[in-house]
Amino acid sequence: MSERLLDKYNKVFIKSFKIKKDKLKKLKYQSITQWDSVGHMSMIGTLEDTFKITFEMDDIIDFSSYEVGKKILKKYKIKV
Amino acid sequence: MKKKTLNSTELLDYQPNRYPFLMIDYVSKFEPGKMANGYKNFTNNEWFFPIHFPGHPNVPGALQLEALAQMLTVAITTLPGNKGKIVHAISHVVKFKREIFPGEKLEIETKVLSWKRGICKGIGKGIVSGKVACEAEMTITIPEIFNKFLPKK
Repeated sequence: MSERLLDKYNKVFIKSFKIKKDKLKKLKYQSITQWDSVGHMSMIGTLEDTFKITFEMDDIIDFSSYEVGKKILKKYKIKV
Repeated sequence: MKKKTLNSTELLDYQPNRYPFLMIDYVSKFEPGKMANGYKNFTNNEWFFPIHFPGHPNVPGALQLEALAQMLTVAITTLPGNKGKIVHAISHVVKFKREIFPGEKLEIETKVLSWKRGICKGIGKGIVSGKVACEAEMTITIPEIFNKFLPKK
């Protein structure tokens, strides 16, 4: 795990959803009001810009939590 | 699409709003996925002038914004596969700079900044007699496309 990459990953969520770092581990789609449908697409776009990747459609649909997102990023050779 | 203008009848295929809420008359230039320009003429016959306001008729700001959003919609619905699709607003930030009165023509210019997964971010401005009357940053969506990318709960 690269701490620098993890830090980047965390910052996307903290900035997109305006939440604190200690809330990230349990964070899921629609578990907070900020992570709604529009928030989801905005966060996905920010991740793409941050890591210079383009998600496949299935991965955007499967990206249902902070932890699941880490596994999905591995497919793009980003180990956070 | 080879056509570069849409008259008042043709634009109905790319803009789902109808009287009394259709706020664009003519699309004078468009590039699918990039931009759409056109205009709306406001005559004394508009339904809102008698009530907004008696003695001082002018175009409601909400309808000026609607005109910009409807034109931006055309820039997206003219893309292949999007014709006739319903478009919703997500967020708009708008500034009003000048009142618009009966008899005036609102020239509308809109530009797409990004179009991805059913979400369009764009800007637009409305010009009357060479001066900017309103301008907006807009985010609109085609739910039919957008919803395909959402996680299942």
